[in-house]
Amino acid sequence: MATILYHGEPNGPSLAVLAALAESGLDTGPNAIACRAIDLLAGDRHRIAGLTETLALDFAVEGEGPVLVIDGEAMTESVFVAQYLDEVAGGALQPRDAYAHWQMLMWCRRITERCAPAAAFLGLRAQGADRLAAMSDDDFATLVAPIVSEDLKQRWHDTRTGAFPDAADTDSRAKVAGAVDMVEAQLVDGRDWLMGPLSIADFETYGWLMGMVAILPEAFADRPHTAAWLARVRARPSVQSALARSATGRPEAAWAPGPEINRWG
Amino acid sequence: MSDITLYHWEPNANSGKPMLALMEKGVPFTSHYIDMLAFDQHKPDYLAVNPQGTIPAMTHGDRVLVESTAIMEYVNDAFAGPDLMPGDAQDRWRVRWWMKFMDQWLGPSFSMIGWSVFVGPMVRKRDPEELAAAIDRIPLPERRIAWRKAINGSFGEAELAESRRRVALGIALLEAELGKRDYVGSDSYSLADINIFNSTYSLPLSQPDLAGRDKTPNIMRWLKRVYQREAVAKTWAMGRTDLAHRYSLIMEGID
Repeated sequence: MATILYHGEPNGPSLAVLAALAESGLDTGPNAIACRAIDLLAGDRHRIAGLTETLALDFAVEGEGPVLVIDGEAMTESVFVAQYLDEVAGGALQPRDAYAHWQMLMWCRRITERCAPAAAFLGLRAQGADRLAAMSDDDFATLVAPIVSEDLKQRWHDTRTGAFPDAADTDSRAKVAGAVDMVEAQLVDGRDWLMGPLSIADFETYGWLMGMVAILPEAFADRPHTAAWLARVRARPSVQSALARSATGRPEAAWAPGPEINRWG
Repeated sequence: MSDITLYHWEPNANSGKPMLALMEKGVPFTSHYIDMLAFDQHKPDYLAVNPQGTIPAMTHGDRVLVESTAIMEYVNDAFAGPDLMPGDAQDRWRVRWWMKFMDQWLGPSFSMIGWSVFVGPMVRKRDPEELAAAIDRIPLPERRIAWRKAINGSFGEAELAESRRRVALGIALLEAELGKRDYVGSDSYSLADINIFNSTYSLPLSQPDLAGRDKTPNIMRWLKRVYQREAVAKTWAMGRTDLAHRYSLIMEGID
């Protein structure tokens, strides 16, 4: 059966996976993985046909991210999908050394657990909530009807009704700024990429921060290493090919409900 | 003497993961028991090892590693012994997916319930001033909030209800998963089994309305298979509280 990558606009987790796919080379050749663009904010991800195993789609911690379908099984969570692609291709985007690999996993976890929910919250409020608010009640009900996860569905409702609490706003700004600080500190020794060699951490981090530059510019002020790194990642051919898949021409402004903000502790 | 030291609490939830992974790999380590209920994890000696004050932590030579699931991956990568990740890339993806689902979605709900019925009542017996000072020493603000809630018993009914919903759903999803394969995410014993076993080993006792011989036969078969591993018996023998004592109770209850 065909292997298909369903992806949103190349931002956030969709950008990370599309870039990893291009780096892997698995997007070319006779057995190439086919890419299909879907509109995450239209709920398209919950209407993918032909799936036989939907657990990872239904209950993805990441929320509305890309879905790799292999033999009917929906695979989600951008870091793990990127790891899968990399491992099938021979593993150039993950450190071989056990400690360096642990460092990359820890980095990615800080991004997906702390920065991603914050960026999704700020991005969606600035550049997604209006679209949902403008929908009719019936259209919105149709959109969310197939969403299996109750907590993810609640995040859709919160977005539509404009439930963006001040405390979450303050917390999210601090977490995005914290991620930028982390990047700046990591690059201060003059390295080109976050882990030394190019890795999945670069794409995952870039995906979540790219759209924050316009929304939270103060977090990026006087961060010369981060600015140079953002430009370096953007210039990478794999990222350019991912960005070229944008249907809107403004991928950095495309958001959909993401991971939930930590419930406690 | 081993150049590995593991700082851990009970063989339960996060602490149990690297304990069991090291034991499965046959890697000798120095055990440093951190009494979480005495707030050892926020005392200067431990903060010198892990400034965030979270447990477990592991030192390997001069390297310091934190975060239980990531430590397990390090242990599997760094040492010889049985491979605790499947050979197939799609199986490995599934193992990682389940570990994240447990660590970030289901685990915090187990934990909230566990803290409200076990950790909170245990520490509330202590002197209030001593408790207040202990909380002030916690480095991470999120953990300060969590401990205050646990100690004051101030989890809201809505958040406890949401945690109970997630626990019930998580158990149902795990039951379905173990009907598809022998182990979590693959047909071989892996880090996902270690991860999830550490939060579910006492389910028939802690959630009798949701798990047991009749309600979740697949989970019970899996629990028994994992319980019978030598590394599990050795690891559970390192426990000092009633949590580890549950091991024998569960074994008696499984056919």
